Amino acid sequence: MKPYLLRMGLACLALQVGALGATPTPGALLIAHADVPADRIATAVLKNIYAGRTMYWDGGQRVVIAVLPDLTDSALKELSGMDASQFRTFWQRLVFSGRGQQPLKANDVSSLVALVAATKGAVALVPANAVLHGVKIIEVQ
Amino acid sequence: MNTIAPFPTLRRFRRPLALCLLASLIAISSTRAPADELPLFGPEAPTVGVHGFVSQGYLASSEYNYLGDSSQGSFKFTEAGLNASFDPFARTRISAQGFSYDVGPAGDYDVVLDEAQIEYTVNDLLGVRAGRIRRPEGIYNDIQDVDLGRTWVLLPQGMYNARWRDFYVTVDGGELFGDLPLAGAGSLSYQLYYGFQRPKLDGGLALQKANLPPYARLVSFNSPLLGGGQLWWNTPWDGLRAGLALNNDQDLTFVNVTGRQSVGSPWTQHYSLEYVHDDWTFQAEYLRFRVAYTNSGGGLPRSQVLVEPDTWYVSAARRLGSSFEVGTYYTEYYANVHDRTGATLAFPSDAAQKDTALSLRFDASDHWIFKLEGHFIRGTAQLLDNIDNPVRRGDAWRMIALKTTFCF
Repeated sequence: MKPYLLRMGLACLALQVGALGATPTPGALLIAHADVPADRIATAVLKNIYAGRTMYWDGGQRVVIAVLPDLTDSALKELSGMDASQFRTFWQRLVFSGRGQQPLKANDVSSLVALVAATKGAVALVPANAVLHGVKIIEVQ
Repeated sequence: MNTIAPFPTLRRFRRPLALCLLASLIAISSTRAPADELPLFGPEAPTVGVHGFVSQGYLASSEYNYLGDSSQGSFKFTEAGLNASFDPFARTRISAQGFSYDVGPAGDYDVVLDEAQIEYTVNDLLGVRAGRIRRPEGIYNDIQDVDLGRTWVLLPQGMYNARWRDFYVTVDGGELFGDLPLAGAGSLSYQLYYGFQRPKLDGGLALQKANLPPYARLVSFNSPLLGGGQLWWNTPWDGLRAGLALNNDQDLTFVNVTGRQSVGSPWTQHYSLEYVHDDWTFQAEYLRFRVAYTNSGGGLPRSQVLVEPDTWYVSAARRLGSSFEVGTYYTEYYANVHDRTGATLAFPSDAAQKDTALSLRFDASDHWIFKLEGHFIRGTAQLLDNIDNPVRRGDAWRMIALKTTFCF
């Protein structure tokens, strides 16, 4: 997947957020737990993470995906090729075949940020205007 | 040859245990802590991921009894599972799953250790699993009892026989797995396994053998070694993948009550194609099975019998918003590729079974789904409960299936 497609997908978040009545913001951010051993990540690697083909960070910490339904669906679709329902079903298949662990889910942005800050190995997409505490931003190349 | 029961099935306690499993699911899901990550060993220790499901279905057919007493309507269609996993060390995961099911005469709510494995991932290219592992074959074999993972109530039964659940889904042994990038050609995912299968004397395969000539109950079943693998080519075109699975049992052996022994080494080849685009999912699969049984003992002459069925299906499903999904599939199953018309059979309709299914799935929430499905069937090749279906014709018959699943 080309980086410009990801940027287009993330930019669609502005339209989605706007439709929800929130203040429109350009794009979204990829955040991670402070101990995640990466400051930048290739789009292809990120896609492998969301498709369950890469399960561990360098150093052996398990990747924990955290999702925020509705507000990040477009970016999720761009990364994984799956909409939210397909993504959930895909990971349920991995869980019950013994080959993965279900992504964590938060109900709002602040809860998602807190969840990522508290969970080793966690990574998540958040709207660009999210208030961030205790997490790091990862540049998507 | 031994008669092997893999684990004590605690038959007399199966219903209470199944209820306990259900109660555990409900109790865990109602705790204030997130149900899927539990700090069971303290705040600094790895969290334990806990997930589970319970499904209850209903089957009713216009005639014949299929997967139970469906001609009278049958609720004997239940599945429940509870699994837990955690990462004790870097790149290491331990997981286990308990499972209970009842499909017609098979399962009978026995609670079994369905999966228990330790997994080490060296990197994206290579990992290893050992223990009781889910066996990959095609799109659905390792998840065929997971109602959440598909549109349909019933998978194409010629390919994913719900009554063979006792031994077909798992293998006791080891597996190598990984994902190999192919430069501009996508990637190749592989899973190679070797270990023991453990068919049960009261399982679906034993019931099938008892209900086919010479209609003699089995008194022993070995645990054959099984080797095989699943390859997936994840193509460069988003959403498109193609799969190939091959496996071989070594000296599958069973003995019936007359002392007649049958030995064979089945081969299976399984081809898959899947394309996911926006809200659509298209799938097609073909499976061919071949085994030459050598029969001896029981006071009869030595003989050889070739069993060679095949089956295929095509399907399409579409997601409608966040709550609804509709789908359809058409499948054909042939009991013998050398006699697709039943010319050599007492009941010619036993040669094949062709099924058109229409399904509706409703996701009431992330944790609760409902399904309604209709089947339009010709042929009786899958009606192996012959005692319950003494007369079989080629007329079309119908079946409805309803199912609800709670998960967390």
